[in-house]
Amino acid sequence: MNPAAWIALGISLKVAAAATLLVLPPGIALGWLFARRSFPGKSVLETIAYLPLVLPPTALGYLLLSLLAVRGPLGAASLGFDLDLLFTWKGAVLASSLMSLPLVVRTARVAFEGVNPRLEAMGRTLGMGPLRVFRKVTLPLARRGLVASGILGFSRALGEFGATVIVAGNIPGKTQTLALAIFNDIQIGEDRQARALVGLTALLAFGALWISELLTRRKGHA
Amino acid sequence: MSGLSLHLKIPVKHFNVDVLWDTDEPSLGIFGHSGAGKTTLLEAIAGLRPGARGRLRVAGETWLDSSQDLNLPPERRGVGYVPQDILLFPHLDVRGNLLSGAHRKEPAGGKVHLERVLEVLELQPYRTAPIARLSGGEKQRVALGRALCSKPKLLLLDEPLAGLDLPLRRRILPYLIRVQEEFSVPAIFVSHDATEMRLLSREMLILERGKVLAKGPASQVSFEAGLHPAFRDQGFENVLRGKVIQEKESGLLVELEEGCSILVPRGDLPGPAEVIVGLRAEDTLISLGFHAGLSAQNSLRGTVCEIRRLSDDQTTDSPTWVKVAYGHQGSTLVASITPQACDRLSLAEGKDVELIFKAQSCRILAAN
Repeated sequence: MNPAAWIALGISLKVAAAATLLVLPPGIALGWLFARRSFPGKSVLETIAYLPLVLPPTALGYLLLSLLAVRGPLGAASLGFDLDLLFTWKGAVLASSLMSLPLVVRTARVAFEGVNPRLEAMGRTLGMGPLRVFRKVTLPLARRGLVASGILGFSRALGEFGATVIVAGNIPGKTQTLALAIFNDIQIGEDRQARALVGLTALLAFGALWISELLTRRKGHA
Repeated sequence: MSGLSLHLKIPVKHFNVDVLWDTDEPSLGIFGHSGAGKTTLLEAIAGLRPGARGRLRVAGETWLDSSQDLNLPPERRGVGYVPQDILLFPHLDVRGNLLSGAHRKEPAGGKVHLERVLEVLELQPYRTAPIARLSGGEKQRVALGRALCSKPKLLLLDEPLAGLDLPLRRRILPYLIRVQEEFSVPAIFVSHDATEMRLLSREMLILERGKVLAKGPASQVSFEAGLHPAFRDQGFENVLRGKVIQEKESGLLVELEEGCSILVPRGDLPGPAEVIVGLRAEDTLISLGFHAGLSAQNSLRGTVCEIRRLSDDQTTDSPTWVKVAYGHQGSTLVASITPQACDRLSLAEGKDVELIFKAQSCRILAAN
C-alpha cells in the first residue's frame, strides 16, 4: 500500500474515534431517557434520533451543509465567528457522529433496559441518591452493552461516506478517509489500490463488530 | 427507641391499602394472604411508592406528611430493606454488597460494623465470593447483612423465610432472632405464615385486601386470626421454647420449664442447645386423665383457661379451640377439638385436663 493509504487510514481512525467520543455522551443520555422515562413527545424525539438510520446520508449531509454555510443559521455570518467545520476533519467528525447516533442510542437503550429497576430502587433505600445509583448500580450493570454501543458507533463512523463527502469534501491528507479513498481510487481506475483499501476496512469492521458481539453475548449469559 | 406512627393510604390496582397503626413495639409483623397489600405497605414505608398519601413517622422523624407536601426520598429515610426477591447487586462480591449502603452518613440508627455483621450472620468465609456462587440461604443472609451495614433506623423484611425449605428455615430463623437481639434495630416483618410471624414479632397487624383486620400483641392476634373465616384453613400452631436437657435415642428431651419436658424428634440437627418447637393445635389431644396404653409420649397437665369457637360458624364440624394453661409461668397451649368432644368431656374454664401429643407431631422450627 502506498503512503496515501496509510494517511487515509490514520484520518479514518482519528475521525471515527473523535466521532465516537462526541456521540457517546448524548447517545447514552438519550438511551437512558428512552429506557427509563416517559414524557410527552417521547416517540417523536425517538423517531428523530433514529432518523439517520433511514435518511440517505447525502440528505443529512446537505442539511448540515446548509446549516453551516456562511449564510446558514450556524454559519460565520449569523454567529459572528467561524465554527470552521466545513471541509475540515472536524466536519467529518460531526457528520459521522450524527450518522452513528441511532446505533449508539438503540444499543444504549437496550443496555439500560436490561438493568432491573428494582436493583436501582434497592440502591435508593441504601442511601444512594439518584446520581450515585446511576454511577454505582446502573452504569456497572449496563457496562457491557454501553461498550458495545460505543464500538458499534465507532464502526458506523468508520464506514461513513455520504454525509462526510458533502460536509468535509474529499481532500487527500486532510479529509479523505478510507471510505472516500476507495471511492477516489475506483473513480480514477486504481483498482488494485481500491481492493487493498477494501480489505483493510473489512478487517477493521469485522474486528469491531466481533468484539461488540462478544460483549453483548457474554452479558446475556451473566 | 422505636415509635411508629403510620397513617397511610396507598392506591393499588383493585383497592386501596389503608392502614392506621401507632405502636412503640420494636418488632412488628404484617400478616396476610398474598395480594393483601403487605409488600405495598412495606414499599411505601421504604419510600418506593410515590402514590402513598397520609403521614408516616418513625422514631420521632416525619418521613411522609401529605398535608405538608413532605415526602422524604428513599435515600433519606434510613431503612434497611430486605425484599422478597433479595436483589443483591450481581456486579459486586459479598463484601461489596454488604458495604453498598455503609457510606450512608445520615441517618445513622446506631453503630453496625462489617466485622460484627459477618460474624453474627456467619458470613466470614464468603467475604470475597461472587454473588452468583451463593446458595439461597447465603444470599438471604447477605441481603440481611447489607441492610444492617447501612445502619438503618428501621429494618423491613419481606417474607424473609419464604422460598426456603424447612432445614434452611431452621438455620435462617435464629439469625433473624439473633439480629434483633444483637443490633436492637426496630424491624417490620412481612409474612403469610402465622407461626413465623409469632416467632419474629411482638406486635402484629393483619391485612386483608388492604384493610386492617386486627392488630395487637402477636400471640393474641394470631390466636384470633385463626378463628377468623379468612384464615380458618391455616389452623393454629403452638410455639414452645425450651432447652435440650438430654439427647435420647428416641429424640431430644426438651425442658419447657422446670417439671415440664417433652420429647421431640431430633431430625437432622447436630446437638442443638435451645430449640423452638412447633405443635399444631389439631395434633393435640385433651384427656381427663384416666388413660392407659397410649402410644403418645408427651403429656402436660394444665387447666382450661379459654374455650373459643369459630365466631360466625355454627356448623357442627367446625373446631373448638381450647386454651390450656400449664406449668407455673402462665404458658398456654391450644388444642383444637370438635364441639362434640368438648361437650362429652364437659370442658369448661377452670377444669383440670391433660394435654397429650405425639413426639412426631412436634417439629423443630428453630435451633441454636
